[in-house]
Amino acid sequence: MTPYLEVPLRLVVLLGLAPLLPGIINKVKAWVGGRRGPPVLQLYYDLARLWRKGVVMSTLASPGFIAGPAVAWVAVVAAIVLLPLGPAEAPFAFRGDVLLMIYLLALARFGTTWAAMETGSAFEGMGVAREVSYAVIAEAAIIAAVLSLSVQTGSVSLSAMLAPAPGAGAVLLAAGLFTVLLAENCRVPFDDPNTHLELTMIHEVMALDHSGPPLAVILHGAAVKLLLFSLLLVEAVLPLGGVSAPVALAIIAAGVFVVTIGVGLVESLLARFAFRSVPLLLTTAFLMCLFALLMAWKGGAA
Amino acid sequence: MNTALSIAVSAVFLVASLICATWARRAWCVTVVGGLFAQLLGAVLVLTSAGTWVFAGTGSFCGQRLVFEVDALSAFFLVLVAVVGGVGAVYGSGYWSESAHPRTARLGRLWWSVLLLSLDLVLLARDGVHFLLGWEVFTLAAFFLVTLDRQRSEVRRAGWLYLAASHVATLCLFAFFVLLSERTGSWKLGPMLGHDELAPLFWLALIGFGLKAGVFPLHIWLPSAHANAPSHVSAVLSGVTIKLGIYGLVRFTGWLPVPASAGWVVVALGVISAVLGVAFALGQHDLKRLLAYHSVENIGIILIGVGFGLVALGHGGAAWGGVALAGGLLHVWNHGLFKALLFLGAGSVLHATGTREMSRLGGLWRAMPWTASLFALGAAAISGLPPLNGFVSEWLVFLGLFDAAGSRGPMAWGAMPAAILLGVTGALALACFVKVCGVVFLGAPRSPAAEHAHECGPAMRGAMLVLASACAGIGLGPALVWPAVARAADAWRPGELVVARPESLTALGAAHVVLALLAGAAVWALARKASRAGMVRAVTWDCGYVAPTARMQYSAGSFAGILTEWFGWILRPAVHREVDAGVLPRAGRHASHTPETVLDQVVEPAGRLVMRLSGAVRRLQHGRVQSYILYLVAGIVALVAVVAAGTPP
Repeated sequence: MTPYLEVPLRLVVLLGLAPLLPGIINKVKAWVGGRRGPPVLQLYYDLARLWRKGVVMSTLASPGFIAGPAVAWVAVVAAIVLLPLGPAEAPFAFRGDVLLMIYLLALARFGTTWAAMETGSAFEGMGVAREVSYAVIAEAAIIAAVLSLSVQTGSVSLSAMLAPAPGAGAVLLAAGLFTVLLAENCRVPFDDPNTHLELTMIHEVMALDHSGPPLAVILHGAAVKLLLFSLLLVEAVLPLGGVSAPVALAIIAAGVFVVTIGVGLVESLLARFAFRSVPLLLTTAFLMCLFALLMAWKGGAA
Repeated sequence: MNTALSIAVSAVFLVASLICATWARRAWCVTVVGGLFAQLLGAVLVLTSAGTWVFAGTGSFCGQRLVFEVDALSAFFLVLVAVVGGVGAVYGSGYWSESAHPRTARLGRLWWSVLLLSLDLVLLARDGVHFLLGWEVFTLAAFFLVTLDRQRSEVRRAGWLYLAASHVATLCLFAFFVLLSERTGSWKLGPMLGHDELAPLFWLALIGFGLKAGVFPLHIWLPSAHANAPSHVSAVLSGVTIKLGIYGLVRFTGWLPVPASAGWVVVALGVISAVLGVAFALGQHDLKRLLAYHSVENIGIILIGVGFGLVALGHGGAAWGGVALAGGLLHVWNHGLFKALLFLGAGSVLHATGTREMSRLGGLWRAMPWTASLFALGAAAISGLPPLNGFVSEWLVFLGLFDAAGSRGPMAWGAMPAAILLGVTGALALACFVKVCGVVFLGAPRSPAAEHAHECGPAMRGAMLVLASACAGIGLGPALVWPAVARAADAWRPGELVVARPESLTALGAAHVVLALLAGAAVWALARKASRAGMVRAVTWDCGYVAPTARMQYSAGSFAGILTEWFGWILRPAVHREVDAGVLPRAGRHASHTPETVLDQVVEPAGRLVMRLSGAVRRLQHGRVQSYILYLVAGIVALVAVVAAGTPP
């Protein structure tokens, strides 16, 4: 398949499926809680409705209030295009693309936090401060995880790093990356997406003053980011090197489904942590990735 | 036009600028910019042609024969001097104008010319005496530029601290050059890799050049000097003069043999500077002081690259060392560009509002859209975000570190922590610059000064625009600047280090271009959609509170609270709190500030100890003749006793 055809195809599939994930999570939570819950496609309905709505903008906000979410969305989408899908290499793979992916996520953070700071609200300032602070440890964990894959495969390109069978540290890596996924996507126990108290939120509070199409872009971007982290986790842990493309795609889809259900179960069974203990949990995630790195190192030397 | 001609033209113009600095403002501006343009041209010619330009004069200066040389490494730094020096001169003509500063504007121009000439002398000199001469003159010129506004006591204090610290550095360099010339028998500088006995001199050079570069913990002079200098001076100090410390380090590690542990020490200093530099920056409430601490951070990133270049020498000049060194060198350019841009932006803010205190600013984008957007671009660049130049150099350093870790040698034990901490540094820098942009430019104005701000003039705006486009240009076309960087890295130790072009550099540039286009298109599309959907303005959601004020916004201190708490062990913030705990509390107050820990907790106690010891010794000399006679008698008795005891029976 030519890249000109492949990139749009991938984008349509990935961006189209991304809003499914929050729907599945909510369904799992409802199921565990004994409720019927919102439909799985609820986010699609929300996005469609928001896209048709008008925009209410803070009197203090500059054009960056609209530009921030747009830049963040592009950054997340660009990051997900860099991911390979099993044996199907990324359409745009090069040495060092993994670093670009990590820094594109940082660019997305810059966009969303910039837009949040536009409103001059203390709530949003609070959310932004938490987001950028916790991201520091999450970044350390991601770099350690990526290093472990790089050391294990001797490569600095995502397509080669995610392909082979995982080493002895796969369990540690999975646990570490799953925790980072929860933190980066602002899920329980780091943040509660369902809370109605501004003081306790991270991600939701940053979007408090957004409405209409910009809010739709923020919500969709968040769903794509969740899909990206799930894909990264599944491909880093499962051995996808030797299987054929359709099988690999099926495995990946199943893996992402399992991760999503896992997120839903965590949200149903755990309460949100106090903010003071969030750094501790994140540090634990970092340490797990670090031990995965050490095991990758040890595995290669033996 | 060849290199010799452009350098001669540049010299003539710069000397001419010295003459017209005090009486002809326009002529000065033209000669400086013209001279620096010629210098840029000459340096670019050297960088593109892979040759070196040597001038061996017949005359002598200060007892030494005049020998100048421009190789790729010198040319690399000459480019930085030319760009930032020229842009700063243009900005300064609007910022430190005759009308606003009648007493010091002329002096500012004069010292600017002296600074540029002496910086060039350091870069061209191939003789120890001339090098030291240039070094001392540029230190003094920078001192006079820092203290242009010397009516204010904190400026004088910052100036003295700078002068004292710089002279400690100069003292180390004196010792370095004297020992070098004593062992080699001449003051001539050049490659002398055969003399292994010269290796220990590296430690002297590290202290001397490290002090100039502002490596943690030798950075004590840097924050106050950069914060209190006029902003165009801060830009050139931070963008160029501290890079001369890096130049010295790179130059002399290239020419002289180094101890085996040199690379590791440089890497360790780099990592410490990077992480702690940004941690200290997070604790600052003063906009320019915060930017100054980011210089410490970026010097750290540069040193990580240079250090791995040094480490690679011990491993057969492996390619990862070459990539890391190239990344470090490119970061020299990049940091010079975006830090100068940020300081000029901070200067415009100071110019418009009269304050550097971030908790008195806010909402400036409305009055200063140009400054706000250019500052934002600089902030994104310094945070290492794609598609700008900061990411390109950090990407190269990262690539070197990942390759070093993947090669599974002992260097991986350094590369793995360095890579993780470099990532942490990037995330911390992002946090810090979201804070700066959010508190200074966004939200509501926190004081009348911020409310009545105004946009800066065309000269200042133009200067910032040039730097911003250079930042974007390097980000979008990294493959275009690679040859220059590679030549400079090659000239470091020719033939000893493999400097191979990462084959994916073009792909990275293409990705950046695509990203920039897509981001532009998305912003345009979303803005169009939003305006078509009907836009209504309303107050920010305030949770139903009826009387919000601008002071309720998150401030710089509260924003960084979580992170400064994590680094509390070294930042040691001073908190003053008066809260009335009664049933009907009166007004309370809370103030916090982060002192310069190394200066306050290490250097000042040490200084006090020295002063106390000296004071105790001084008590012996008080001008009373009787006591002096007593000393004499006691001395003679002691001598007699010694002689008597020592005499053989």
